[in-house]
Amino acid sequence: MKKVIITVTGPDKPGIIAGVSNVLYNQHCNIENISQTTLQSEFAGICLAAIPESLSIQELQAHMEQGLSGQNLQITIKTMDEETSNPANTITEPFIVSTFGPDRKGIVAVISQVIADAGVNISNLKAVFQGGDNPDRNIMIFEIDVPVSIDLQRFSAELSEKASAIGLDLNIQHKNIFDAVNRI
Amino acid sequence: MLNDREFISTLDMLKYEHLDVRAVTLGINLADCSSHDLSVFKSNIRNKMTGLAKNLVTVCNRVGDKYGIDVVNKRISISPIAVVAAAFSSKQMVEIARTLDDIAEEVNVDFIGGFSALVEKGIANGDRALIEAIPEALATTRRLCSSVNVASTRAGINMDAVLLMAEAIKKAAELTKDSDGLACAKLCVFCNIPEDVPFMAGAYLGTGEADAVINVGVSGPGVVKNAIDRALAGETRPDLGRIAEIIKQTACKVTRVGELIGREVAENLGIPFGVVDLSLAPTPTVGDSVGEIFQSLGLLSIGVPGSTAALAMLNDAVKKGGAFASSYVGGLSGAFIPVSEDLNIEEAARNGYLNIEKLEALTSVCSVGLDMVAIPGNTSVDTLAGIIADEMAVGMINSKTTATRIIPVPGKNVGDNAHFGGLLGHAAIIGVKNADGVNRFIRHGGRIPAPIHSLKN
Repeated sequence: MKKVIITVTGPDKPGIIAGVSNVLYNQHCNIENISQTTLQSEFAGICLAAIPESLSIQELQAHMEQGLSGQNLQITIKTMDEETSNPANTITEPFIVSTFGPDRKGIVAVISQVIADAGVNISNLKAVFQGGDNPDRNIMIFEIDVPVSIDLQRFSAELSEKASAIGLDLNIQHKNIFDAVNRI
Repeated sequence: MLNDREFISTLDMLKYEHLDVRAVTLGINLADCSSHDLSVFKSNIRNKMTGLAKNLVTVCNRVGDKYGIDVVNKRISISPIAVVAAAFSSKQMVEIARTLDDIAEEVNVDFIGGFSALVEKGIANGDRALIEAIPEALATTRRLCSSVNVASTRAGINMDAVLLMAEAIKKAAELTKDSDGLACAKLCVFCNIPEDVPFMAGAYLGTGEADAVINVGVSGPGVVKNAIDRALAGETRPDLGRIAEIIKQTACKVTRVGELIGREVAENLGIPFGVVDLSLAPTPTVGDSVGEIFQSLGLLSIGVPGSTAALAMLNDAVKKGGAFASSYVGGLSGAFIPVSEDLNIEEAARNGYLNIEKLEALTSVCSVGLDMVAIPGNTSVDTLAGIIADEMAVGMINSKTTATRIIPVPGKNVGDNAHFGGLLGHAAIIGVKNADGVNRFIRHGGRIPAPIHSLKN
């Protein structure tokens, strides 16, 4: 067996996951992990599957195109790079960066650049517009994994500085406080 | 994986609802510092306290930054000085007080608590010296707090000690008349004092405690108020059972934050973690008020009929939430009603909704007592002793902690204002019956016997 990554994007409707999983089942593939999300009406799914050595990526792609035809979906399949499946063994601590402020261009670009420059990985990112007229209720939440080796104080100072330059209020805090409050 | 609602509600608590860690208090046992030689004793306590506390502030700030939560006060509580310095005279006790104040400044803590004596049953030489030293000690130091336990459910009320404390309060007020009797804001008289309170002015380290311990005081009246407001604004009108449940759940969350911070500070300092004291402790800031909770619950103001019932529900729900959240909840854990420290409660007193009698009634169901109450400067020692004795009786009979922190503001009378500054706030002076009169009952002396523990009616 070899491992592939299948990504599917397109307009959301009932049956996408059923379509993908049935093609994999019929081709004797095993789904090892799968995740999906939707933004407004758009669907995006990513699936890690083990496929038989005898099945080529091109063949699987053809089966998928056929199985999901007529749904206007973009499907890509690629072999999973073993190196990336075992990321460097860095010890990290989970932190949450949250920004509050009016919606504007560049929020994600600016903040994620600071995060990237520090060698910190974003493991989850979402925008929460509770908004209405109150710009302070536009909230971005970045879940990040901060290597224990980096200077946290400098990192948060850098984040706050860049955020305030674009009119945002930014907080960074260890994820445990959210767990402590919300999980028993 | 946390959902959006959980993220947002937690961020709101921290950002908009004034949830903070009100105090991380390092308890230090000074029993092994004892000596008959004052200079040896002073050098022993300095070495021990600075050694243990040198990183306290840095570690608290670092842990606070890590979790995005403010650790507002860093404090030290110590073994009762009347016990560990029992060999010294009251003049020497004042010197010890000044040394403690210097130590507080050196390690940069906000307060040291434990210039204390436990005299509920009798007064030993060290106790008497300490009580005598209190006025000057508090008037000539900035960061020292004093507490004296004069009553307990098991021992009764030591009325001799009550009278001594009334005299001490009166004298402390006079010595600090330029600052509206500020020394009295650092002095509590207790019934059933807990041994692990992290909050001032009542913090001291009990004799049954470890060599050093970290106790944490969390606050969050704003968080509770907002939770009630949100529930009442919802579509289904919650009844009081449901509201109590919401308060309980909120108290649970707040306590969890306190334990998280406390344990991490303790681990960083290599000192055992003691307790979380979950108390609704207000500050003179809008949105950080216990009084506002009463209005959210539908009362015109704290003090109007219904207030005692509301406070009973609030206090009990807070305790239940705290007890569920952590196995080590201690200290006072409940609602505080310090008049000058809460804008809303102060306003209630100013507008006449809250008088000293109603405050006393409220203390039968809340976690402390007559707290930061400014009364006329001409209040006699007898009347002060009467107020203290009444408050002690509430605690003794109900097996709960009660305390007084009253300030007879020199030269001021009902309707005037007293300003204490900072977190201590300001207060309109409220009336006391028979303010400058005598009180023969108080002058009988002796000890009111401990109450019976059956026939509870």
